[in-house]
Amino acid sequence: MVENYDESAMAKDDEFAERIAARLRVPEQVHPSFEKRLMEKVQAEGPLLYPSRGSSARRWWRTERVFRVAPLTGLALAAGIAGIIAISGIAIGSRISVHSPAAIRAASTAGRDTVQIVRFVFVDPHATSVELVGDFNEWARGSTELGRSGAPGVWAVSVPLSPGRHEYAFIINGSRWVADPLAVKSSDDFGTESSVIRVGTPANSAT
Amino acid sequence: MKGSSDADLVAAVLAGDIEAFSGLVRRYEDTCVRFAVRMLGSRVDADDALQSAFMRAFRGLRSCREPDRFGGWLYQIVVNECRTYASRQRRQELRFTPATDAIERAVAPGSEPEEDADVGGHIENALGMLPADQREAFLLKHVEEMTYDEMAELTGVTVSALKMRVKRACDGLRDLLEGVYNG
Repeated sequence: MVENYDESAMAKDDEFAERIAARLRVPEQVHPSFEKRLMEKVQAEGPLLYPSRGSSARRWWRTERVFRVAPLTGLALAAGIAGIIAISGIAIGSRISVHSPAAIRAASTAGRDTVQIVRFVFVDPHATSVELVGDFNEWARGSTELGRSGAPGVWAVSVPLSPGRHEYAFIINGSRWVADPLAVKSSDDFGTESSVIRVGTPANSAT
Repeated sequence: MKGSSDADLVAAVLAGDIEAFSGLVRRYEDTCVRFAVRMLGSRVDADDALQSAFMRAFRGLRSCREPDRFGGWLYQIVVNECRTYASRQRRQELRFTPATDAIERAVAPGSEPEEDADVGGHIENALGMLPADQREAFLLKHVEEMTYDEMAELTGVTVSALKMRVKRACDGLRDLLEGVYNG
């Protein structure tokens, strides 16, 4: 047991370990081609991950596209916790759909090229700015800012999303990363929590 | 790029200058490779693990909350990646050479590190016989010379658990090198 691992035993181990470790501290170097190979991979996918300013993600919003979107008819609202309310609403189709924040049910019967308008609402009376980042805008800061929306402390933005699973988060006051407290959570390899929203057709709507 | 801080380089990459990532690679590749080679017992696997770790760092760069501490953040990814690779390695890939005169010389008090080029290899083989969690703890403590608090922050494992792993690693190495060192 660790409790029995007294100082003298530890010192004895340290002495033994030092003799072993001295051999293992010899510096190593990466293969000469390491950086070249790595940067080729980075170049291959880099532009998609980190678009140059003014290109890619922002251009996506500016590009004229033809969407088959049914009339906006509703907004889903839900209360959050700990003084923060994060609301992910949907407003598509011929009827109002109200679901939990991460849930979306499409009333549209359009084809797979149909995008759906998702309204993201974040409530924080103390926020001075709120941004939305997600895989749909390549997590690019400054791409999708929420605007003040009527009631004090209510921020909102409507975003066209393609069908499928999307991850997102809010950035408050330019620095604080906040996952939607009522949505399904997803953690990346580094423990950073994001929220999940699924956009689908009536047949494959998800939570 | 040489004079740029880690935070400068991270900001440049996030702004779309992905070539700036090479500055971070050059700055930290040699720091990480020793741990990877010792942990995986193979330069080929270490190369693969580091390629994968750097790519994960690149893809997750937006998650680096403290860009001025990019090195520590990257090292955490490297340790995790090596842990994943180690778990995949088949035991038989780690050859173990029984104790020899070379090992005896390696652990004998007063021996010189450069005395026998094979000695390091024998010790690495013995190290490779340890369970991955013990090997990792031993390397971080005694080769990378971290404090237990630093190790705990890096691995997310408690200090007491890490001490236990290091102790078991020492016991294991002592057993593997039985009769060689009477410490």
